[in-house]
Amino acid sequence: MPDEAYDYSLVRRMAAGDEAAMHELYAAYGQRLYAYALRLTSEPARAEDVVQDVLVAAWKSARRFRGEGRVIAWLLGIVHHLALKSLRHSSQPLTEEIEEMLEAGFPSPEQQVESAEQAARVRAGLRSLSPEHRSMLELIFYQGLSLEEAAQVCRVPLGTAKSRLSYARRHLRGILARQGMEDVG
Amino acid sequence: MNEHQGYEDRLPLYAAGQLEAHERAEMEQHLQACAECRADLELWRAVGTQVMISSSQVSAPPDLAERALRRLHAPSPLHRALLQAASLLRAQAYLVRREMWPASALLMGIGTLVTYLSGKIEFIYFIAPLVAAASLASIYGPEHDPASELTLATPTSPWKVLLARLTLVHAYNLCLALAASLFLLLLIPPDLLGKLILGWLGPMTFLSALALLLSLWIGTGNSIAIAYGLWLVQFPRYEMVLNPSTSAALTPILDAYRQFWGSPLLLIGLGILVLVIALWAVGRSAPRKICAQI
Repeated sequence: MPDEAYDYSLVRRMAAGDEAAMHELYAAYGQRLYAYALRLTSEPARAEDVVQDVLVAAWKSARRFRGEGRVIAWLLGIVHHLALKSLRHSSQPLTEEIEEMLEAGFPSPEQQVESAEQAARVRAGLRSLSPEHRSMLELIFYQGLSLEEAAQVCRVPLGTAKSRLSYARRHLRGILARQGMEDVG
Repeated sequence: MNEHQGYEDRLPLYAAGQLEAHERAEMEQHLQACAECRADLELWRAVGTQVMISSSQVSAPPDLAERALRRLHAPSPLHRALLQAASLLRAQAYLVRREMWPASALLMGIGTLVTYLSGKIEFIYFIAPLVAAASLASIYGPEHDPASELTLATPTSPWKVLLARLTLVHAYNLCLALAASLFLLLLIPPDLLGKLILGWLGPMTFLSALALLLSLWIGTGNSIAIAYGLWLVQFPRYEMVLNPSTSAALTPILDAYRQFWGSPLLLIGLGILVLVIALWAVGRSAPRKICAQI
């Protein structure tokens, strides 16, 4: 994985108009940006548009990047903003979009986890979370961001980020408990 | 915040492997003593696994950076619109009847010369609307456009084609009339130039717009005849040919009619309204016309 100094140099080169730096940035982080855009939008075509918009925005604002945080957090923040903006203009309800994506995107639990039943329950629990809560989980568990960085990406106070995680935990726990009781019943 | 709450908050970060070594050690110590947190840790690990599985299987299209750069190189929407407009104007300039350009210039030249030689500035008011009406009445339709079938079949909307031709021809007529007005500064003081321009601009705009609209429905010849009739009917001195009672009855009507043609702002407003109607009519009738031609 590229180091921070290298990332900053990429942004500086982009600010100077070096197109190769854009390609290198995308090679380094394109998958993560696209995964996060897809997590939020649930539509591959829309996620592609969002990532394109993000790259254009990053190119244009590279001069203003002050290097106060990691480049990936900066980029994910742009993804978060543009993806939600795109969804606000969409006629499809947000939750349905995410649910459809999760349904299509998750592999068979039998192939992926030891406990198929638990995986299925977690999956169902994730589906029932709102995009704000799910994006927090994505940022922490897949994107490897700290809680502070995740809060910055979502443009919420640190306390809100913590409460979103706490809510996700309670919600998932409740769902798992209910399903467990139904299975026993 | 109590101690347990603090561990509970940091548990997802522990499950995600994001705690520092000393925080990890503290957490592990707490986990040994707290069954609730151990159960939560199991939950967070399952969540992390599912999130990792779904996101790591996503593969990004390889060409998004290239596409983003292409977008950055592309002209801005305004620039693109201006280029398209320029291209449409250029294309339509070739399709307007070629003889119209020199004919309009010649008529306006003769009118200007007559005005100058006679010293009667009113003559330019008389001639400018007639030149503009004749040229605008002949800019659109199968009888003037040898490629009209092709034009209607292209992706460019018929109303855009008409607007482009209208812009070209009207701008040309305006330039001719402006040049004539500047030439007539030889006759009039400069401070009357604005009045002179307003004098022909109103009738020219309305009459040419009306001629264009009529030409779309009844053909060029008929529309020019009607437009010219409407314009010329104000000039004769009817009291010389009509009996006094009829003439007296007609006078207020004729006065109001002449006043109408002498109200530049009203005529410009009406002219724009008529042009909008013409564009709308072309947009609506084009599909039917092309069907009829087929």
